Formats: sequence, C-alpha cells, structure tokens
Amino acid sequence: MPKDKIAELRKRYEKIKLGGGQKAIEKQHKNGKLTARERILKLLDEGSFVEIDAHVEHRCVNFGMEEKSMPGDGVVAGYGTIDGRLVYLFAQDFTVMGGSLGEMHAAKIVKAQQMALKVGAPLIGINDSGGARIQEGVDALSGYGKIFYNNTIASGVIPQISVILGPCAGGAVYSPAITDFIFMVKNISKMFITGPNVIETVTGEKVSAEELGGAMTHNSISGVAHFVDDTEEECLANIKRLLSYLPQNNLETTPVQNVQDSINRIDESLNYIVPDNPNKPYDMKDIVYTLADDGEFMEYQPYFAQNIITGFIRLKGKSVGVVASQPKVLAGCLDINASDKAARFIRTCDSFNIPLLTLMDVPGFLPGTNQEYGGIIRHGAKMLYSYSEATVPKVTVITRKAYGGSYIAMCNKELGADMVFAWPSAEIAVMGPEGAANIIFKREIADAEDQNFKRTEKIQEYRDTIANPYAAAARGYVDAVIEPSETRKRIISSFDMLTGKRELRPEKKHGNIPL
Amino acid sequence: MKKFNVTVNGKTYAVEVEEVGAGQGGFTYVQQAAAQAPVQQAPAPQAVQAAQPAPQAPVEKPAPKVEATSGQGTLMSAPMPGTILDILVSEGQTVKKGEIVIILEAMKMENEIAAAADGVVSKIHTSKSANVNAGDPMLTIA
Repeated sequence: MPKDKIAELRKRYEKIKLGGGQKAIEKQHKNGKLTARERILKLLDEGSFVEIDAHVEHRCVNFGMEEKSMPGDGVVAGYGTIDGRLVYLFAQDFTVMGGSLGEMHAAKIVKAQQMALKVGAPLIGINDSGGARIQEGVDALSGYGKIFYNNTIASGVIPQISVILGPCAGGAVYSPAITDFIFMVKNISKMFITGPNVIETVTGEKVSAEELGGAMTHNSISGVAHFVDDTEEECLANIKRLLSYLPQNNLETTPVQNVQDSINRIDESLNYIVPDNPNKPYDMKDIVYTLADDGEFMEYQPYFAQNIITGFIRLKGKSVGVVASQPKVLAGCLDINASDKAARFIRTCDSFNIPLLTLMDVPGFLPGTNQEYGGIIRHGAKMLYSYSEATVPKVTVITRKAYGGSYIAMCNKELGADMVFAWPSAEIAVMGPEGAANIIFKREIADAEDQNFKRTEKIQEYRDTIANPYAAAARGYVDAVIEPSETRKRIISSFDMLTGKRELRPEKKHGNIPL
Repeated sequence: MKKFNVTVNGKTYAVEVEEVGAGQGGFTYVQQAAAQAPVQQAPAPQAVQAAQPAPQAPVEKPAPKVEATSGQGTLMSAPMPGTILDILVSEGQTVKKGEIVIILEAMKMENEIAAAADGVVSKIHTSKSANVNAGDPMLTIA
C-alpha cells in the first residue's frame, strides 16, 4: 500500500477528532463544559473506546450546506467498557454546528441504539445539542422519530441512561424522557419543550432558562430527571455508580459485589428509632442506611416527592431497589407525585431483575381538592398496578402505620409481597385509631357522661385489639413479627430464599397501566 | 351593558351582554400580558369565577411548598391541610435553613416544618391552633 494512503487516513481522523476546531473547543471549555470526546474518555475505562461512524458526513444540499463540512456530523458514537463491562454510547458535539441534529447525525445514534440492543449492552446518550438542524428540514424530524422509536423498542431490554450536558430543547427532550434514567448538572443542563423566549412571547411569563429547565427544576419540581450533580465529573462518576447496580440487560442478573458487611449484623439502634408517640415523625432514611451493605444507598430522585424514598442498596452484595415511606415529609402520605415516582421506580427495578424492598409507614393518601382534581385516583393506581405486575422478589417491612388503601399500595401480601415483616410498633388497620374509634363507638361516646374520657378509652381499646401487628399476623397477612434490630438478617435471608422465584403471567401484548 | 333581543325557534329572549376589558378576558394580547405581573397566569374571566359554587377552591397547580417572591423574601406556605400545633419562632428572629420553625399537625402526624432559607422571620401569617389549607401562607423569611 502506498504510504500516503495511511497518511491520509491519519490526517482525516485527526481532523474529525478536532470536531468544530480548536476555537470552538476553547469556547466550550470557557462555558465550563467538556467536549464530547473528553466526556466519553472520562466515562469509559482507559483505552477502551472504539469509535463507529467517525467518517459519516451530512448529505444536505440546501441553503449552502453543501459547502459545509461537519466532522462526524456533530455526534461521536461507539462502544467501550465501564468497570470492564460493555456499554454503547453517543455524545453530541456542541462544537460542530451547535450539536444540531440532522439526518446522518441521527443515523449514527440509531446505529448505536440498534447495536446496543443486539448485543444486550446498556446505552448511554450524552445530550448537548441546539436541536434540529433546520436546514435539513423533515430529514431532521425523521431522525428524531427513529431515535424515539428505537428508545421505545429497547425500553425494558437494556438500561438506557440519558445525560443532559448542555441544551436539550424542543422535541429532542423526548428521547431522554423515554429512557430509564436522566442525569443533569447544575448550571449546564437545560431541558424544555419551549424556551424562555417563546414562553415570554406567548404567555408573558418571564423566566430564566435555569429556572425553567435547569437541573434542580427537573429534579425537584417536574420529576423529569432522576439525578443531579454540581459538576460534569461528579455526574460521570455517578453514572458509573448507577451501572454497578444494573444488569447488562433484562435477561441477566445484577452484578454481585464483594462486601465486608456481615449478613448477620444486628443493629440495636433500630429498636429505638420509632418514637414512643405514634404522631412523631422520624427519618426513614436512617433505617435504609442501617440495613444496607456498608451503609451505601444511591438515592433515585432525592429531591422530588420526598414523602417517598426510592433508590438502590446492596444486600449481601446484590442490588436491591428500596421504596420507603418518609414520615418526615408530608407525614409520609402518598400523593400524586409520590405515586408516580414510586411506580416508575418499581417498574424500572422489575424490568431489570432487581428485587424490591418496601419499608412502610404510611398514614394514607394525601387529602385535598388539588389531589383529587389532579387525579390521585389514576396516579395512585399506578402503585398498585406496578407492584402487582412486578415478578421480582418482593419483601415488605411494616415499621409503623399501615392504613387503608395506602397499606395495599405499599405492597402488602395481596399485591404479591413474598414476605411481609412487621415490627412490634406496626399498626395495620383500615384507618387510624382516633378516626376508627369515633366511628365504631360513636353512640357509646355520645351517651357517655365524660365524652373525652370515653373517647380516649375507646381509642385505646381499638389500638389494643386492631391497631397492632398481631391481628394481621393472626390471619397470615404478616408472615412474621420481628425485632427491629434483626431486620437486616431477616430480609437478607428472605431474598436468598427467593432467588429462585419464578412467577408466570398470562400472555398478553402488554398490560394497560393507568397513566 | 347592552341589551339584545335574540329569537330562537320563533321564541324571543331578552339578553343583556356586558362588555369586559381586554385584560379581564380569558384571551389577552401578547403585549398587554407582558406588561402585567409575569408570575400570574392570565386570570379567568370574572363572570365564570362568580358562577362557580366553591369560590375558595381555585383550580390551580398544587402550590409549591416554597415560593420565592423577589424583594419580599421567601414565603413558606403550608404543604398540606392541617392545624398549627406550635410556632417555634417569632417575628424578627434569625433562622438558619433547615431549622424547625413550625409544627403542623396533619394526618395525625406532628410534621416538622423547616426553614426554607437563611434569614430573618419578617412576617408570621398564621397563629397557633389555626387551621391551614395546602398553599396557605405560614411565614416569610427575608
């Protein structure tokens, strides 16, 4: 082969690697952002990145585009490894025409999606794009459509992670929205359907881009995103952490990590964590951290709907998804946002063979007109639906309140919990003792000379006979009443016992979850 | 107020029509809307609101727990309906973000409401043993 052929290949690839050129790279850095290639190299194991479609170029001949060369067509795609495990990924290159998406740009992403699906490897998409490349017209729209379709086909087969490291606006937001996890970084990530300028023109509202679609907006108010970080480096590190909890695809089990923590560890502090007064709140997160291997907990949507806690822990080195009431926030009530958050998380875990641990201390669904008007009925239904649908091992621990419909919604025996444990502090009943006593003993209280005394007496009577774990345990709705200190070893033993669990469902296209 | 006679299927009805200003209508021009207070949504037509049986229940998005109003500090509103069991601070007192300022009894739980920001309690909008609805103002930290 003539030497110059190899020289040409090298020359071409050197140019492609520079993306939009040195000036554009410097500008990206000045904005506090890494370039597409830097992001990929920081995320993957050293030397593992293999690029695909580096030489792809656009085919647009409109509006002088035929004169323009765009290295890689504004996106870098390929595969590599993270902690030795294969991942596919693409990163939009903002230095090349603002990372705008045209026909061939989309084709590269679609190829990465299809390859990831074919080999059963997670797909990571790093979004940093001004949106559709307008010069390419409907070809750009066609590209988006293909990406959304492939996201959907891959949903529930391979984990799909979206990382927003720049703008992601208009229709482009729907690719991340379909994927399993969205990561955002403060002051860098922006997601919205219509930007601040359009909103101001149409409705007169003035709002900054960060307020409208910044990382904290989507992590605390809208619930669109799942994880937030201060810097890109932290964000990339957290993606690696998340992957350590996930299998490669829906046919594999989660990776097992070596942990030092004893499976028989007893924690006396759990015996005292529930306050004597049942009306006092406590922090359920303390219990989660105490139960987890080495006290490690990766929280999912930590700032959204804080009345319910979701996230990943390990027990005996294996991933477990935790759904837990948080009595400290909104009394631990279930509301619209908490239901959506939990249901989505439960389905994520079930898709990827991650067993579910539910910690229950729930007084009920949140009352109020805005809840009813907002459709708490159909939102709350998602929890019942997703728990019933989940076939992974399910273990429930009732720490205190378990009232009415919310007791069912937090995965009781009937929704398919394989093991239900209750602490001695558990109150499993149709409603709280105060309300129940007022209804059941209405006449007796009304007839009494000292009504308050009678009421207190009857409340206590109800508490003693019904609002305890033993009434439910007597009927087998609770499998065991346990001492809180031994919770860790009991749940580890349960998940061990359930490893071989197999549950078949009738064949269907797909269920029809209320949305 | 204008009066019209409207004939429907041969029967004549006397109808009064009141003209409302552009700003009060459900539809507003862009320029006018921009000149108004930007936070509020275009107000619902007056006539429709009056016709509703329950005027104290405006159909709005669930009030966020914390609303930052520029210039006036941070307004903390009730996250859920309940009774104010205790107010642990007084006006003029300095508070740190995360410090418990109010105990709100709701759903048979003594919910601890923490300060949403560092600052001075500039105004307490509620009182002990008062009933609050979700979204009602409780206190302002400036």
